[in-house]
Amino acid sequence: MGMSRKSIGDWFAETFHLKDIPFMGVPTYMFSIEYWLGGIASAALFWQALTGLLMLLYYQPSDAYDSTMAIIHAVPFGSVLLSSHLYGAYIMILAVYIHGLHVYFKGAYKKPRQFQWVLGVLMFAMVMITSFVGYSMTGDVLGTDAVDVGKGILASIHLSVLTPIFFGNGTELDLFTRLLGWHIILVTLVVLLFALHFYLAEQNGFMPDLKEAKYKAPAVLRKDDARIKPWWPRNFIFMIGIVTLTWGIILMLPSILALPQIVDKVPILFSPYPGPSPASPQASLVPAYPPWFFLFMYKMADMPFPLAVDVSMGALIPLVVLIVVPFIDRNEELHPLDRPFLTALFITGLTWLIELSIWGAGQPGVPVKPIWLLLVIIPPFIISFGGIYLLHLMWRSIKPKVINADPGDKTTASNVAEDKVDKLLSALSIIVTAVAVIILLLSFSLNPITDGPLIGLSWSALLLLFSADVFIYFRYELK
Amino acid sequence: MGDVDQSRRTFLKSLVIIAGASMVIGMLRGLEVIVPPSVGISSFPLLQLVDENGNPIKASDVPINGQKLAMFNYPLNNEPNYLLNLGNDSNQPVEIPATSVSIPATGQSYTFPGGVGPNKSIVAYSALCEHLGCAYPELTFYPPGVKTPTFNGPMDKVIHCSCHGSTYDPYKGAAVITGPTTKPLPAVQLKWDPDTDYLYAVTMIGPTIYGHTDDLSGGSPISGNSTTVKLMSNPALG
Repeated sequence: MGMSRKSIGDWFAETFHLKDIPFMGVPTYMFSIEYWLGGIASAALFWQALTGLLMLLYYQPSDAYDSTMAIIHAVPFGSVLLSSHLYGAYIMILAVYIHGLHVYFKGAYKKPRQFQWVLGVLMFAMVMITSFVGYSMTGDVLGTDAVDVGKGILASIHLSVLTPIFFGNGTELDLFTRLLGWHIILVTLVVLLFALHFYLAEQNGFMPDLKEAKYKAPAVLRKDDARIKPWWPRNFIFMIGIVTLTWGIILMLPSILALPQIVDKVPILFSPYPGPSPASPQASLVPAYPPWFFLFMYKMADMPFPLAVDVSMGALIPLVVLIVVPFIDRNEELHPLDRPFLTALFITGLTWLIELSIWGAGQPGVPVKPIWLLLVIIPPFIISFGGIYLLHLMWRSIKPKVINADPGDKTTASNVAEDKVDKLLSALSIIVTAVAVIILLLSFSLNPITDGPLIGLSWSALLLLFSADVFIYFRYELK
Repeated sequence: MGDVDQSRRTFLKSLVIIAGASMVIGMLRGLEVIVPPSVGISSFPLLQLVDENGNPIKASDVPINGQKLAMFNYPLNNEPNYLLNLGNDSNQPVEIPATSVSIPATGQSYTFPGGVGPNKSIVAYSALCEHLGCAYPELTFYPPGVKTPTFNGPMDKVIHCSCHGSTYDPYKGAAVITGPTTKPLPAVQLKWDPDTDYLYAVTMIGPTIYGHTDDLSGGSPISGNSTTVKLMSNPALG
């Protein structure tokens, strides 16, 4: 093979030594979204760093609200930057929740990944605090409320001494300078912890299919597994597809909500832009609202308890429980129905979280009577514990059959059918690419200051269409 | 692997590259986000010269021969100028006539309209050296009898910059006497009202003010109808 025959991909791989990258490859069955949930969270984190760093060029702690609004109204592409930074945080938090749930139900926190789990929980808490700080930085009426609530929460748990450290000496300039500083410091810590988390994931080895592991810990995909193919190019290509898919969604949601026909009808909870300034007359029309991911905490504060109890029950105790789970639950059982207590506990907690969030959205600030509280708290507890223990008994009776069942030959689709699918997908890829080129050309007619939502949508479309092309092509990498 | 499969694979790969290039090109436009919105004004404002209490400056108040250096910003807040009442060796105001000033950098020239005030002795020039932007106190006026070393030997009655030695002649529209500057100092065209003895800044003449792509952008506008004149001690006098 002469040099001229070398493809761009090979040249790229050689120049950047991609074949030598020490990341672990995976077996083919792991090219499925459930094994890439952490990757989605990481892609969102990357987007946040990118857009956040760019906004550092414009954000002024001395003029927090006006400089934020200037990013939306005066900076080219600024509205896309700011609204996608907000939704990037939303998508990241959602992805972290789903990633955590998936890990929890698969028992992936067990040996040898206990510390990996602890890091994950810590990052989760830090991402929530980072988001709280970022949301406050705009200086809009909701952000201003959030800062006051933050001070109250610190006071309630007897940590008022931390108030000047987080929120400054009481001057507005010190407040916003510190919020900006903490936002960056916290996210830097998240990135460092992420690096360690990722390193541990590589070194501990990935979690294989549970059935393959016979539902027993330690479940580790052996590095010498014959099904593993090198990281380059399969993992690289799939990763590019995942990253562009995530970014496309991050850009799409706020851009739709920011369309002029829609933006005024969007509930403040999902508004792509900050609310009014606390100094403006409209501020009085805005109900006090936290961002959606803190609605549960907002409702906790309506409970008939002192604030310290609300904060402990809503945040501190759940966090401690999550952190200690791998050290308490040390048996080898991985199937969620083989550890019914923790599974039921987690489902109960999750249900409470969702209930409280919806309740907080519907009745923000309405004090809760004890009887309502019991009506909300007790049924999920009884249903999930009762239900899970019942399922546990049923699972026990069929488990041996399931585990010992011969996986059997997967009936592969006939060549003729597969060829048909290939042809259809190729045709789809042609359409996708053509649409991408058309959107690219159209996007040049858009004004970067006044057409923000359409620019966001065009970029979102370009990312998603590219992602679609990548996944269609990826089938050939697997063959 | 069959032939069809390979050729289709290559075909799909090229589609990936086309869609990827579309994505990259489309989003590269976004780099414009680093260009800050420009700040400035659309035309030269007419600003009255006032003191730090907001009272109008009278032509007769302007210190003779830069015993004190009078400075004001015009047309934007980051564009300082010296206000000079030029005199002779015995500190009597002298008339500064209109003159043609040449710009060595371009070979072009422009007309400096001369001094204003009762003695036609008052002029104003940018206080930012056209060479590399040095300002007060490096760039200053050397009054009669106060000599500074220049590339032409010791000189007085010049505006001289101690950063790199550029020398300008304030009596001749701040024309270049010695380099390294290749441009004269821009002049503020002043207006004097003989009835009230008040002074006004009207427009800029000559090269673009140092550090600006044009005189009216790259700085915050001066609010109101006046600009404040501050009296500074003249570093040339020690």
